[in-house]
Amino acid sequence: MINRDNLPSRRAVRVWLRHLIQYRSFYVAEWAGNFGEHALYLLAFGYGLGRLVPSINGVSYAQFIGPGLVVSIAMWTSTFESTYGAYNRMRIQKTYEAMMSTPLSLGDIVLGDLLWCGTRAVIGATLMMIVLGLFGLIGSPWALAVFPIIFIVGLMFGSLGLITAGLAPSFSFFSFHFSLVVMPMFFFAETFFPLKGLPLWMRAFSQMLPLTHAVKIVRGLILFGEVESLLWHFFVLAACTLVFMILAMISVSRRMVN
Amino acid sequence: MFFLAELDIDARGLSKSFGDLKAVDGITLEISRGECYGLLGPNGAGKTTAIRMIHGATRRGGGELRVLGFDGTTESCRAREEMGIVPQDDTLDNELTVYENMWVFANYFGISRHRSRERIEELLDFVQLREKWNEQIKTLSGGMKRRLLIARALIHRPRLLILDEPTTGLDPQARHLVWQRLRELKSGGLTILLTTHYMEEAAQLCDRIGVMDQGRILVEGPPTALVRERVGEEVIELRCAGRAWSAGALGELGLDIESAGDTHYIYCRDGAEAVRRLLEAGEEDFLRRPASLEDLFLRLTGRDLRE
Repeated sequence: MINRDNLPSRRAVRVWLRHLIQYRSFYVAEWAGNFGEHALYLLAFGYGLGRLVPSINGVSYAQFIGPGLVVSIAMWTSTFESTYGAYNRMRIQKTYEAMMSTPLSLGDIVLGDLLWCGTRAVIGATLMMIVLGLFGLIGSPWALAVFPIIFIVGLMFGSLGLITAGLAPSFSFFSFHFSLVVMPMFFFAETFFPLKGLPLWMRAFSQMLPLTHAVKIVRGLILFGEVESLLWHFFVLAACTLVFMILAMISVSRRMVN
Repeated sequence: MFFLAELDIDARGLSKSFGDLKAVDGITLEISRGECYGLLGPNGAGKTTAIRMIHGATRRGGGELRVLGFDGTTESCRAREEMGIVPQDDTLDNELTVYENMWVFANYFGISRHRSRERIEELLDFVQLREKWNEQIKTLSGGMKRRLLIARALIHRPRLLILDEPTTGLDPQARHLVWQRLRELKSGGLTILLTTHYMEEAAQLCDRIGVMDQGRILVEGPPTALVRERVGEEVIELRCAGRAWSAGALGELGLDIESAGDTHYIYCRDGAEAVRRLLEAGEEDFLRRPASLEDLFLRLTGRDLRE
């Protein structure tokens, strides 16, 4: 199924460049929209809802959810890009097919898409970080170190999205992806509330979500400049990402070369 | 033209099944450098599947394949560096302009934007799309898109060009422009493999054709020779809707006659004698014409509709 001719290579950058060119045509509108949306989220949850919440481990609720929002934006952006976006490229616009009539291998095409998902995640998270900065919610210069983590989050959710996109018979199939993959992580990865004091099964479930580990790292870096059990969290995040990337390549290969 | 023994496409026993359907059933293609070869066949004959296996978009079910000297299994990316592919479907990048489409494609081949600029202008001139360079793809007509697909496939100066139904859906003007360009490319030494179900296209362009049906190549050879061999020189079409006709009029001429609906097709080397006898028998509603590729095609693949 996988042979030398469909493994990824440096040529993936050429695919990434195509996505960047295409992005040029709509990024201004997107940035303006996202900027406003991020600020609204923070106002509504951090300050609106946050008034009802006592401080959590010595930080305000707005401070608590800021990093959670950064990570979840990375997740959403790369998920949209790899589900609807990739399905469109695969089945509707036939962008993949055009690429397959060049020296690019399927591995290059998938890796290029994933690098782009990582890039979009970083762009989205950057906008949120700026908003956090404006609200004075960044506690450490180590906050700048979140970007590599965000990029990995983009790769991971890009991979998950591509796995589903390779299996999807139509656009409506993606609602499974959102309700079974994205929403549980969105709510239970310690993005909006701490797990301390919750029932054991809920904490165990949360520990199994790879996003939880990303949130822990990002929150630590943004608020305190240090992360408890950093290596462990990083290991889980990186290992999950690698496995999902391989599965994404298999899923897309099966769809594209029959 | 065929003195070069070098084969740009060397496929033996190529086959592919989808479930129970044998889409391609063991075909052999040997296409020499500089040759233009046309695969003819009705819808569903397996033409597209065959060429997709050759450029590596569909996995081979069986058989041996070498393209431009490269192994079809392990070196197909390498082979595609020197192959231009014009697919049946529009695979243009709809979110980019004409010029961006060209240079993004050049980038897939590792040609830098700077180096590709001159080549793109040259190719847009070649397919008469220079003035459209900054247009969005959705504003182009079907014929323009098809020409752009051809220009795009030439960006890296390939040695082999593969086209899947290059003129399907085009108006006569656009079709003749495409043929003109393909003939120019051919005289420049490019090897061309195309599929078509337009007989005129095959007659205009191809040095050799293979007529394909139900996954097999039925006959193969230069178009005019094939027609002469398999059909004859002339065809008389005799229409006699709703009435009997006297086949006896043709006497002992021993002609090859085929009937379909209200028409009888009489295939012969020289139609003069047959015409004389028909007129004697009082048959007047007939058409005498030279035998064509279309006769060959219909004789080989039958007159039943293919969906």
